[in-house]
Amino acid sequence: MTMTRFGFASLAGAILAASVTVSAAPALAGKADDTLNVAFALEPEALDTYKIAGREGLILARHIYDGLLYKDLDTGEIKPALATSWRFVDPTTMEFDLREGVVFHNGAKFSADDVVYTLNTVLDPNYGTRFRIAVDWIEKVEKVSDLKVRIKMAKPFAGAIEMLADALPIYPAAYFKEGGSAGMAAKPVGTGPYRLVEMTPGIRYAFERFDGHYAGSPKGKPAIGKLVVRTIPELNTQFAELLAGKLDWTWRIPPDQASRLASRIQVVSGPIMRIAYVGFAVTGKGKDYPTKNVLVRRAINHAVNREAIVKAFAGGASQVLNAACNPKQFGCAQDVVRYDYAPEKAKALLTEAGFSGGLDIEMVFAAMPRPVAEAIAADLAKVGIRVTLNEQQYAAGVQKWRAGELPAFFTNWGSYGTGDVAFIISNFFGGGADDLVQDKEVIELVATADSAQDRALRQENYAKALKKIAEQAYWLPMYDFNINYGLSPALVFKPHPDEFARWWLASWK
Amino acid sequence: MLPFLTRRLIVAALVALAVSAVSFGLMFVAGDPAVVLAGQAGRAQDVEIIRQAYGLDRPMPLQFFSWIGKALTGDFGTSLYFNLPVGAIIAERLPVTLILGSAAFLLALLVSVPLGILASIRPGSALDRAALMLAVFGQAIPSFWLGLILIVVFGVWWSLVPISGTETWQGYILPVIVLSYYAMPALMRMTRAGMIDVLGADYIRTAQAKGLPRIRILLIHALRNAILPLVSLAAVQFGMMLSGSIVIESVFAINGMGRLAWESLLRSDLPVVQAIILILSLIYVTLTTIADLINAWLDPRLRSA
Amino acid sequence: MTMLDLDGRLLQRRRLWRRINASVGIRLGGVLLALIFFIALFAPLLSPHDPIAQDLTRRLLPPFWHASADLAHPLGTDHLGRDYLARLLHGSQVSLGIGIGVTLLAGAIGTMLGLMAGYFGGRVDMLISFVITTRLSLPIVLVALAAVALGGASLRTLAIVLSLLLWDRFAVVVRSATQGLRNREFVQAAVSFGASHLRIMLCSLLPNLRNILIVVATLEVANVILLEAALSFLGLGARPPTPSWGLMIAEGREHILFDPWLIALPGAALCLLILAVNLLGDGVRDALDAKAS
Repeated sequence: MTMTRFGFASLAGAILAASVTVSAAPALAGKADDTLNVAFALEPEALDTYKIAGREGLILARHIYDGLLYKDLDTGEIKPALATSWRFVDPTTMEFDLREGVVFHNGAKFSADDVVYTLNTVLDPNYGTRFRIAVDWIEKVEKVSDLKVRIKMAKPFAGAIEMLADALPIYPAAYFKEGGSAGMAAKPVGTGPYRLVEMTPGIRYAFERFDGHYAGSPKGKPAIGKLVVRTIPELNTQFAELLAGKLDWTWRIPPDQASRLASRIQVVSGPIMRIAYVGFAVTGKGKDYPTKNVLVRRAINHAVNREAIVKAFAGGASQVLNAACNPKQFGCAQDVVRYDYAPEKAKALLTEAGFSGGLDIEMVFAAMPRPVAEAIAADLAKVGIRVTLNEQQYAAGVQKWRAGELPAFFTNWGSYGTGDVAFIISNFFGGGADDLVQDKEVIELVATADSAQDRALRQENYAKALKKIAEQAYWLPMYDFNINYGLSPALVFKPHPDEFARWWLASWK
Repeated sequence: MLPFLTRRLIVAALVALAVSAVSFGLMFVAGDPAVVLAGQAGRAQDVEIIRQAYGLDRPMPLQFFSWIGKALTGDFGTSLYFNLPVGAIIAERLPVTLILGSAAFLLALLVSVPLGILASIRPGSALDRAALMLAVFGQAIPSFWLGLILIVVFGVWWSLVPISGTETWQGYILPVIVLSYYAMPALMRMTRAGMIDVLGADYIRTAQAKGLPRIRILLIHALRNAILPLVSLAAVQFGMMLSGSIVIESVFAINGMGRLAWESLLRSDLPVVQAIILILSLIYVTLTTIADLINAWLDPRLRSA
Repeated sequence: MTMLDLDGRLLQRRRLWRRINASVGIRLGGVLLALIFFIALFAPLLSPHDPIAQDLTRRLLPPFWHASADLAHPLGTDHLGRDYLARLLHGSQVSLGIGIGVTLLAGAIGTMLGLMAGYFGGRVDMLISFVITTRLSLPIVLVALAAVALGGASLRTLAIVLSLLLWDRFAVVVRSATQGLRNREFVQAAVSFGASHLRIMLCSLLPNLRNILIVVATLEVANVILLEAALSFLGLGARPPTPSWGLMIAEGREHILFDPWLIALPGAALCLLILAVNLLGDGVRDALDAKAS
């Protein structure tokens, strides 16, 4: 019986191995009918940008809608979009001149009313905008004339321009008023380069180039006529479709598979803002976690062989981090304490801390590959730190973290795709709900940096905060992410670090 | 028959109510929907606002009764994730699952019942052993593996069928085969065991002694009595197929109820999960009732019960 | 006369068949199962490596039949560079324990409920049918998620959850089989002798359910092992470094297209265990039948 089974297993193995090496060159179906066939593993949410948390839905939404401004990530330049120019009237009032002659997909003409109604609607807490941080800096929006609006800010906010750059899309006022959020979800209408022509929610989305897309748009006129986006949850099925030439674009291919696919299809790797880290609870509501001891935190930093982990699991150009931010971000100072891989030093630190017999600690990981968490746990076990590893959904994990019920939380943070350190350390070290360190000095430094307009002043204060964070080993910063894209050999596609695919820039070779 | 059905209807209503209440409670234990909705970048303030906006801050029993009240009028609410009516989402996915589940169930029955009967005629024969091996493989080969092998061979290699999706009827071929293969062992072995039991009984020997044709004895006298547990098991099995094999739906990118339930569970989409569980419990009640009716018809002595 | 002769011969042949089969089945299944038990008991001594020792520089080494294999790891290494042979050997402990333990416990619960429902009928049946249907409608994953949120993920939590959930097939099948038996002569006879309900259920009905119980149990063993895998993979079961066949299959899933042996090996082990349980179950049943007649 053993032989039968093994025989079958190796036969099946042979079939698989053979198929991967023998099958003919992909048929390039997408190029032939000018359709970009896209696969996501996760289902996109309802296409009302203000209620989307997931990346997939946000990507689709940016093809449908436009914001007042646009950021060219290649140059870092803020470009005019639905607004042609803008200025600060006073420190908390911005004024925008709107573009003339823009039309929505349903034929409606764009004007100041659309801007005023859209933004005033979504900043009302009852609307349920998913990320308050995106809109809570706006007090209200006023119409000055048909092509001029003013945004009154509720507080000075350094990220205002970033947010207005494509993150806060403008809906057609009349249509939005009539259908509300549900109406936008059922049939989205925007001014963007593509319009949605067919949708089975969560399953299939078909787009066509919008020929009425306004002239002078920073997104430009797309080269590819049609997009078909499908959800294919199983990665291996995506690979099969790619190899058969029935898929032109997919992403988030694990490094192991990417290297195997590279010889058969086009694999492109691009760095992103997201970083992986382990956060330690220092306050932790009354429970006596060993992580309250700085020596233990330093020991953990020395005990984990991050070089080896990055090489095995992160792939691409990922690197080990020392500061609690992505080096690509503004203000992410690099001259902080470095903790080398030194298990002996870690053991010595533990002994010094009074844990010569080792210690037990619970670590929850969320939204991270299990093997990486296991590798960290195994390294810690080598110096006597026995880790109880629990995987949880991000929501459940973060809830426990905020409640102070976790000594260590291993996860990642994408900084909203933004290249500014404010979007990471203000959240975790600024004294808010996610801050389980509550270091007074750091909170003050971060607050000063956040509210300053002067870049040098911001940089200086962030640097001081990051130094203190590293010196106290409040985090175990792990690595920055790279995303592997699996592409049709006929496709020209450029990845961007903010995890937004810009298919309007893609073209056929 | 009428009191039987009335009793059944009462049970059905109670089951639906109990299941809904229990699962409602479990959903809150398993994860806070507001936190899930806020997503990974959601901060504590965002969670609070969402909690209020979606009415998740009300006491749980209150939320449950307001949900069940609306559900009774056919209003299943709005999906927290898709922001679309739950009814519409389910209407989109239920037919796919019904086609897939029914086709796979029929195929499984067509293969496994005759195979089980043949195996029972001579326990231990080569045929019996072959059937046993099939059952063992069926249980030990992970269905996603079988699915992927079929995809690679028939989809990538020979390009005979679509790799994923169910836009055309050809898209159903592979998933139906895999799903039915997965259900065959239980049905086959249950048929075989029941038949072996019955074939040893006195009345079969009497029938044989009377010189009735062998095939008639097997199919009319023996099968009829061996089939009672099989019918009940088949009902359970069919219900499981309808709730869908999540794995098979993932592998073939089929958007049926199984995956909808699974994904909705992970993202705490309370209204969708509740509606699916309600539908599932009604389906199970219906199936078990039908199974009991068939059994009563097959074995008149049960009717007195 | 000839007819009776023929019938007698047929019966004899059937009995002979069964006896031979029973002994072959028992022997083969028994030896296999004993082997797996042996491996489970002495896994630490048999393993060439520590099953949880990682070596990130030696990840995904292929097994011996590949040209690039490293014979220090005859069955290769997994995605964390852990020796696959060692993990397979140790995995027998988890799979055996969970598979058989949960099946026995769930079987006891399900059989009891099914017997009572089928035997008493009426209100008892209605109540138990209610419980069965309620249970069937509850998604296992939801219950497991909630249980883990309350009690933390561990093999013990998982075993309890599975035992309390997987009795459904036993109950459903036993219930309808009991309904079929209840009006048979021997049960009616026991009733007229004034035997207690418990006695009738345990002494008259239960022995007659043996065949289908064995079948359902052998099916459940595999079911439980695969469910353990699925739930462990979701972080709802075995703690990470614990080697378990089901977990290994789940972990190999990502690599299935390019390194199929990662699934083939634990799959084969699982297949052997199920085969052993099946053969032994059938053999024991046939042997008992042969003795009875």
